Amino acid sequence: MFATIVLKELKSILVSPKFPVTFAASSVLVLLSVFMGIREYRASLDQYQAAGALVQQEMRESRGWMALSNRVYREPDPMQIFASGVHNDVGRLSGISTWEPVKLSASAYSDDPIFALFRFIDFTFIVQVVLTLFAILFTYDSINGERESGTLQLMLSNAVPRAKVITAKFAGAWLGLVVPISVPVLLGISLLLVYKVPMTLEHWVRLGFLIGASVLLFTFFIAFGILVSSVTRRSNISFLVCLVSWVALALIVPRAGMMMAGQVVKVPTDAEIDSQRDSFSKDRWNAHFKGLEEKWRKRNEPLRALPEKEREAKREEMEWTWAEEDKKDRDSMQAAIDGNGRMLREELRNRKGERERLAFALSRFSPVASFQLAAMSLAGTDISLKPRYEDALEAYRTTFNKYKDEKQRESGSSGGIRIQIDTDRGIKIDVGREIALDLTGMPEFTANRPSLSESVSATVVDFGLMGLFSILSFAGAFAMFLRYDPRYAN
Amino acid sequence: MFKLIVEKELREILGSVKFAVTFGISSLLLLLTFYIGARNYQVSTGQYEAARRENMRKLDGLTEWEEVRNFRVYLPPQPVSSLVMGVSNDIGRTSEIRGAGEISARDSKYGEDPVYAVFRFLDLDFIFQIVLSLFAILFAYDAVNGEKERGTLRLTLANAVPRSAYIAGKIAGSFLALAVPLLIPILLGALLLIAMGVPMAAADWNRFALIVGAGYVYFGVFLSLSLFVSSATEKSSTSFLLLLVVWIFSVMIIPRTAVLLAGRAVDVPTVDELVSQKSRYSASLWQEHRKKMADFRAPEDTPMDKVMDQFQKFMGDLDAERTEKMNAFSQRLNETRTNAQAVQERLAFGLARISPSAVFSLLGTSIAATGVHLKDDYKLQAEQYQKQYAEFMKGKTGRNPSGSIVFRTMTTDGDQQEKKKINPGELPAFTFAQPPVRSALGSIIMDFGILALFNMVFFAGAFVAFLRFDAR
Repeated sequence: MFATIVLKELKSILVSPKFPVTFAASSVLVLLSVFMGIREYRASLDQYQAAGALVQQEMRESRGWMALSNRVYREPDPMQIFASGVHNDVGRLSGISTWEPVKLSASAYSDDPIFALFRFIDFTFIVQVVLTLFAILFTYDSINGERESGTLQLMLSNAVPRAKVITAKFAGAWLGLVVPISVPVLLGISLLLVYKVPMTLEHWVRLGFLIGASVLLFTFFIAFGILVSSVTRRSNISFLVCLVSWVALALIVPRAGMMMAGQVVKVPTDAEIDSQRDSFSKDRWNAHFKGLEEKWRKRNEPLRALPEKEREAKREEMEWTWAEEDKKDRDSMQAAIDGNGRMLREELRNRKGERERLAFALSRFSPVASFQLAAMSLAGTDISLKPRYEDALEAYRTTFNKYKDEKQRESGSSGGIRIQIDTDRGIKIDVGREIALDLTGMPEFTANRPSLSESVSATVVDFGLMGLFSILSFAGAFAMFLRYDPRYAN
Repeated sequence: MFKLIVEKELREILGSVKFAVTFGISSLLLLLTFYIGARNYQVSTGQYEAARRENMRKLDGLTEWEEVRNFRVYLPPQPVSSLVMGVSNDIGRTSEIRGAGEISARDSKYGEDPVYAVFRFLDLDFIFQIVLSLFAILFAYDAVNGEKERGTLRLTLANAVPRSAYIAGKIAGSFLALAVPLLIPILLGALLLIAMGVPMAAADWNRFALIVGAGYVYFGVFLSLSLFVSSATEKSSTSFLLLLVVWIFSVMIIPRTAVLLAGRAVDVPTVDELVSQKSRYSASLWQEHRKKMADFRAPEDTPMDKVMDQFQKFMGDLDAERTEKMNAFSQRLNETRTNAQAVQERLAFGLARISPSAVFSLLGTSIAATGVHLKDDYKLQAEQYQKQYAEFMKGKTGRNPSGSIVFRTMTTDGDQQEKKKINPGELPAFTFAQPPVRSALGSIIMDFGILALFNMVFFAGAFVAFLRFDAR
C-alpha cells in the first residue's frame, strides 16, 4: 500500500501541468548559475594570475631592497562557482611592506560597483530562492487539495493507516521533486569537467556536502508545505500561509537577524581604528625623533672640542655604528606600532565576533540562513575569509620583511636616501646605489585555507538545524494528519 | 458601471483574508524597513563622526603643518541612502588626502563587515521590488480566470456590462484596493523618520516621494501583468505558475544575467593592470629624480636656513614635476577604463531593462543617488576637496604639499626651542553634497517612461485578451 501511494504521488507530480514549467525553469537556472559561475571563476583566475605576474615584474624592476614592496592577491577557488558568499565583498589584495599594516582592500564590488547592484547568481542562490519556492508550490495542497477534490475521503475509506498515507505522501513528493531536479544539478556539475575546472578530491567532497545541504533544505520545504496543508482546510489559505512563510524564511528573517545584532553589539569602524593606530604611530614617531635628537646631541658634544679634521674623521669612523643604533631604535619603534596595530585589530575582531555570533544565532531561526551559512563554510567563502587571509598575510609580512632586511644587509647598501644637513658641513645627500634585485629565495605567500574537517565541523550546527526543522515539520504534519477531517463538507 | 465594478473589486479585495494577511505583513515590513533605515542612519552617523574625531585627534600635538599625514575624508551617510541603499555599502567610504595625486576610496561597509554582506540589508528597493511585486501577483493572478472558475464572470457579463469597462474597472479597483492602504504604513514610516530624528531636508522628502511614486508605478506593472496573464489563460493555477516564473526571471535572473553578460562582452582593463602600470611609471620617475637629488648643491657660503629653503624648493619642484607627469599618465589610463566601463554599463543596463524590476532598481538608486555613479560622485568631490586642502597647506607652509617626503629638522647641536602647536581645526572641512535629482533627470524620466510603458503594454494585452475571453 505504501508503494502504491508513493507511486500515485509521484505520478500526480510528474504529470501535473506545473511540473514541466517548474522543471524547465529550474533546469535552466541551475545550469545558467553553474555556467555563469564557471565563467566568473575563470575570469577572476585570469585576473589573479595577470595581477601576480605584474607584481613580480614590478618587484624585479625595483632598484633597492628598502623600497621593495609586494602585493598579495586573494586566490580564487573553484567552490566560489557554487557559493560565492562574501568573495566579492571582501578585499582582493593587500600591500606587503615594512611600514604599512596588512589589510585586504579593493573588493570586486568596490572596484566595479556595476556588479554590486544586482549581485551574482550562484547555485546557492537558486536553491535558496527558486527551488524552495517550487517545493512549496508542489506541496501546499498535498492534503487539503485532496480533501477539496474528494480523493482523500475516498482513499481513507480503504483500510489504509493514516501514518502510512502521510509518510508515503512525503516520500512520493520528495522523490518526485528531488530526483528530477538532480538531473540539471548533475548536468551542471558535469560542466565543471567540460570546462576543466581544477577540482581536487577535497573540492568534490565539499561539493557533495553542499548538495547534501541543498537536499536537506529542499526536504524541509517539502515537509513544511505538507505541514501547512494538513493544518489548514483550504488550499488557497495554505498557499497564502506557505508563501508568506517563504518570504519570511527566505528573505526577511536572515536579514532581520543580522540587523538586530548590528543594533545590539556596537562595533567601531575600520576608519576609526585606523585613525587610532595613526595616532599611536604619530606619538611613537615623535618620541623617536625626540630621542634621536637627544642622542645626536650627546654624540656631537664630545666632538665639538676637537679640531675640524679630527672631528670629521671621528664622525666617519662612527657613522656605521650610529646608523646601526638608529636602525635598532627605529625597528623597536616599528615593532611597538605593529604591536599596537595587532592589539587594536584583535579588539575589533573580538567585537565583530560577538556581533557575528548573535547575528547568526538570530538568523538561524530560518533554515534558509542555516543553508547559506553551511554553503559558505563549505565553499570557504564565509565571513572568516577576511580574518583568515589577513592572519596569513600578517605572518607572510614578517617573513617577507625579514627576507628583505637580510638581502639589504647582504647588499651592503642602506637602500634609502639619506639627507644630512649640518651647520658645519652643509647639506649632504646620499641616494644610495641602484642595484638589480635578485629575487631568488623570496618567500611565497600561502593562503591559510580551512581544512575539509574544519569546514565540515563548522557546518554541523547548520546541518543539525536543517535536519531538526525538517523532522519537526514532518512530525507536525504527521500529528495533524492523524486528526485531519477528510470530509469535504467541512 | 465602471464605478460599480471598481467598488465591487474594492470590497472583494478589502474583505478577503488574503488582504488582511498580506497587508499586515507588508505594513510590518515597511515599518521595519523605515525603522532599520533610521537606526542604520543613526549608527552610521555616529561611526562617521567618531572616525572624523579620531582623524582630527591624531593631529593633536603636531607643531608643523608638513607633519600632517594620513589625513582622511569620509563619505557621510545620507538620510535617503538608508532607505534605498544601492551600492552605498559596496564602495569605499574613506579616502586619504595628500594634497596631490590620485584619490582612491577604501573601507566599504561590506568589505569591512562582511557579516552584513551575507544577507544584505532591508530597504525600500527590496520591499517594493521583491515583496510587494509578489503580493501584486498574489492578488491579481486569478482576477479574470478565477472569476470564470467560480462562475461569477459569466453572471457579470450576462448583464449589460461592456467588457472594456469591466477590465478597466478591475485594474482600477485592484490598484486602489492595494495601493491606497499601503500608503498608511508608508506615511507612518515617514513619521518614524521624523520621530527618530533623521534630518530629512526638503530635497530628501522630494526624493522619498519620487521613490514611493516609482514603487507604485512598478507595483502597477505587476498588477497589470497579472491581469494580462489571467485574461490570457483559462485556469488560475496556470496563470499563477506563469506569473511566478516571470517574477523569478524579472526580479532575480534577468538583472544579474544582464550585468554578467555585459561584463564578459565588454573588456574593461582591470584595476590591477592600472595600478601596476602606475606603480611602475611612478618608480621610473622616482629613479630619475633620485639621480637629480644626488647632484643637488647649494652655492658655497649660503647660510644654513637659506640652504634648507633652497633644498625644500628643489624637492618641491621635483615633486610637483613628478605629480604632474603622474597625473597626466593616470588620467590617460583612467580614461581608457572609464570609457570601457561606460560601454559596459550601457550594455548591462540596456539588457537589464528588459526586466521591470531592474528598471525600478535603477530608477530608485538614481533618485536616491546611490547608483553606480555614487563612487564617481564621491571621488570627484574628494578631488575638489584635495585642491582646497592643497591650497590651504600651501598657504601654511609656502609649498605644494608633497605626498611622499616629509622633512623633519632635528636640532642636535643646540637648545631646542619649544614650538607652537598647529590648530587642526583650521583645516578646511570636507562636505559631501549629494548630486541633485535633476543631475540624473534624463535617466529618471527614461526609467519612469519604461515602467509606464510596461503598464500600458500589459494593460493593453489584458484588454485585448479579455475582449476575446471565453467566459463559459
